Amino acid sequence: MSIEIRNIAKRFGNFTALDNINLEVKTGELLALLGPSGCGKTTLLRIIAGLETPDDGQILFHGEDTTEKHVRERNVGFVFQHYALFRHMTVFENVAFGLRVRPRNQRPSDEVIKKKVHDLLNLVQLDWLADRYPAQLSGGQRQRIALARALAVEPKVLLLDEPFGALDTKVRKELRRWLRRLHDEMHITSVFVTHDQEEALEVADRVVVMNKGKIEQLGSPTEVYDKPATPFVYQFLGDVNLFHSRVHEGWAQVGDTRFAAPESVGDKAMVYVRPHEIDLVREAGPGALQGTIQHIRLLGATVRLELDVADQDAVEVELTREQQQTGGWQVGESVYLQPREARVYVPEHRAATPTAEWSAGGGI
Amino acid sequence: MVDCFANPPYITPALLKESTLAFKQHSVLPGFNLALGYTLLYLSVIVLIPLAALILKSTQMPVAQFWHTISDPRVVASYQLTFGASLIAALLNLFGGLLIAWVLVRYQFFGKRFIDAMVDLPFALPTAVAGISLATIYAPNGWVGQLFAPFDIKIAFTRIGVVIALTFVTLPFVVRTVQPVLEDLEKELEEAAASLGATRWQVFGKVILPTLLPALLTGFALAFARAIGEYGSVIFIAGNMPFVSEITPLMIISKLEQYDYVGATAIAVVMLAVSFALLLVINGLQWWAAKRLGRRK
Repeated sequence: MSIEIRNIAKRFGNFTALDNINLEVKTGELLALLGPSGCGKTTLLRIIAGLETPDDGQILFHGEDTTEKHVRERNVGFVFQHYALFRHMTVFENVAFGLRVRPRNQRPSDEVIKKKVHDLLNLVQLDWLADRYPAQLSGGQRQRIALARALAVEPKVLLLDEPFGALDTKVRKELRRWLRRLHDEMHITSVFVTHDQEEALEVADRVVVMNKGKIEQLGSPTEVYDKPATPFVYQFLGDVNLFHSRVHEGWAQVGDTRFAAPESVGDKAMVYVRPHEIDLVREAGPGALQGTIQHIRLLGATVRLELDVADQDAVEVELTREQQQTGGWQVGESVYLQPREARVYVPEHRAATPTAEWSAGGGI
Repeated sequence: MVDCFANPPYITPALLKESTLAFKQHSVLPGFNLALGYTLLYLSVIVLIPLAALILKSTQMPVAQFWHTISDPRVVASYQLTFGASLIAALLNLFGGLLIAWVLVRYQFFGKRFIDAMVDLPFALPTAVAGISLATIYAPNGWVGQLFAPFDIKIAFTRIGVVIALTFVTLPFVVRTVQPVLEDLEKELEEAAASLGATRWQVFGKVILPTLLPALLTGFALAFARAIGEYGSVIFIAGNMPFVSEITPLMIISKLEQYDYVGATAIAVVMLAVSFALLLVINGLQWWAAKRLGRRK
């Protein structure tokens, strides 16, 4: 079942939560809505579910307008960040809830319910907890029960609101891989909300990056990471170094280094370089910036160096431990930085269409 | 299938709860001995000694006489009224209290804080003041009483009056026990139920009410216990007619006025036993609720 989102807008008082959103979720795909808190991603998910009504626009399920339909009639499975399990019911009764509340003529028999619930509990590998109460489970177990409960009504669409947000890092990583495998088995159209870019890139088929109620970019995880459409996407999907520069004859100048810049209106440009895409050398070369090492920090497998570069903010460089050992970099040393990759953003039109505000240029 | 959860690494900490039987524990808070000693002394002087004295006093009379005193038809009629009217009052407040708590928690309206404060009024008001005002209003020539007088319905000086007075004084209990639980009820629970296809009534009946049930029962039991012991607000409106509108606390007073101290304590022991039983029930309910909803420490 595909979902089409047409011109959806939502305001809370003076705050614009969603500003004219258009999006299509393809049948059977796992789509991630990624963005910082307050960007409107949860509101969009709740509007798709019918838990919130949009001020404007339409939601279509498989081409059929469902904007006015109650959440009860939309047949969506919704998984909440804080599980929302019924505390007074056992795990079994929680999963059976959706079947038991059906009108009498559509309600399956107790036998059928029992079989179905145990099948689902086996699917989430928690059948042995059927008689426990939610309070007796760990966070990861609760979320899997919540998922089983949502799947019990055989939803056409599965919506997950920061499903792993309340769990610790290790459990979160296990669960998201498990969710991906589950989705590969079931192929149910799913949308999940997250603020964790790693989670979105790892799990989703496609990623929607949102900011301030607008969609910044839509694409596969590789696309959004390798070809970020806007400075926001670039910054949100990993650590960055930002160099302010001026464009002169098609080149953005940073110190003595220059980067190819796209056509622009003004002469301002922003050059972004990821910390792990910078090489450190001891001898000056073409396109190298001079800097002084201020700090060296060990972060498990990687080493992070902070450098002072004239006229710029502090620059971060990420090296592997091997590189650090062979290089033998010391605090206080004066070195040269050589960006391997860089992206140059220039404002395209002043106050032009909001979606194409930035244009990106190539490397060095 | 995936097997990364074949060996669940989770063991609920509650299962490993250590014994709390140790009398003295090492603690960062000093003064345990002193504080416990004071607590025991205080409870003894204020609560245990008077109650022990009451029971001791009642043992001064032979068993036959004790039984005769507490099973006197007039006293038995007072039990029926006290327990019956208390039960009705507590039941009325079970529904009314839930409704008030619901309105106060779920809706925003002008004067909400005022109404919220008014709920406590029956608590704060001296019971005699409540009694006099109720008797005045519900008397056949009172504001409310005169509306019923043409239909030959008497409220004051009958059993109905007793129920009204008891309903009045026990109003806050259910409201105040249900209100915080209702406030803490996550919106997500209702949304989850609705997304699973439950109708509004099913959400109320299967999700909200079971969550509120322990609080409702606690409020009900508290209201019932309070109604049984209520004296000041009832005697004015009851009229105190033997076999009709005499409440048990009044029987104790009247025995005392006749210098029948032993007889008074005999009836008092009956009330003490009932109150104690109710207290046990309340604590049992709270324990059950805590266990059920996983709030047990």
